[in-house]
Amino acid sequence: MAKPDGYIEIRFGPRWKYISPARVFIQNFIAIALSDQAKADAIAMATSELLENAVKYGASEDTHCIVQAFPDTGVIQASVTNQATEKNAADIRALYNKIMTGDPLEAYITQMREAATRTDGKSQLGLVRIRYETGADIQLDITPTHQVTITIIVK
Amino acid sequence: MNKLNIAPINQGKIQVDLLDNADGLTVKLVGDIDMEDPSLLLDPFFEKVHQGMVAGKIPFVVADFQGLTFLNSSGIKAVAKWIMKLAMLPPDQKYQIRIAHNKAITWQVTSLPTLTFLVPGAVKIQ
Repeated sequence: MAKPDGYIEIRFGPRWKYISPARVFIQNFIAIALSDQAKADAIAMATSELLENAVKYGASEDTHCIVQAFPDTGVIQASVTNQATEKNAADIRALYNKIMTGDPLEAYITQMREAATRTDGKSQLGLVRIRYETGADIQLDITPTHQVTITIIVK
Repeated sequence: MNKLNIAPINQGKIQVDLLDNADGLTVKLVGDIDMEDPSLLLDPFFEKVHQGMVAGKIPFVVADFQGLTFLNSSGIKAVAKWIMKLAMLPPDQKYQIRIAHNKAITWQVTSLPTLTFLVPGAVKIQ
């Protein structure tokens, strides 16, 4: 991939209150970098969902987000990294494998119906929502020490 | 207060209210729903609306999202949970949720239509 024209990196301790300002900042950054408000909105939603997961399930004091804009092609790449427990890393792997198969809309509807009956406080809708609503390529990387990175590439 | 006597939610960046209108009722959502667990606020509110709709045999309610600038996936779960209640109703108690959305807000264009697939006939996009 070519060198990005715009690049931001955000690190913060896993606190819920930082997600909203991060979302707004990313939204404004992409809108300026690409002059594409709809894409800025979609990426901001997606990164917000990833940051929510990172904060909810993070096991250390570091949530790390990188957003790169490639104006020549209109491509945006965003990644969120956090340290997870072994169990949470396994759960995210299982969820990823589940929601990345089949038609994106069907997967989203199925997951919404399941979410409506959950009693554990989780929705497990973030990734499937990103997949359907942004059409992003979503990659999951988990290190042997359970550091989780989710990268989305939106064209 | 509305005809179902349901109190509004007004907390932080969220306002949710049930309003009487000429045709029936409107659930009006305004602000950002981006807290960690919006179901704590939304589930009891939607449950009261649901019970009131069924008890009053009210044929439809408008869910007005036009002033809602953000809804996270946990909030979508709460809305989906409300909609799924309609699947459990016998035919003579069913009502319809009519969603009013703002086409200038990207997430509303991509998220809200998906809700029509949850329970056939239960949700209509206005």
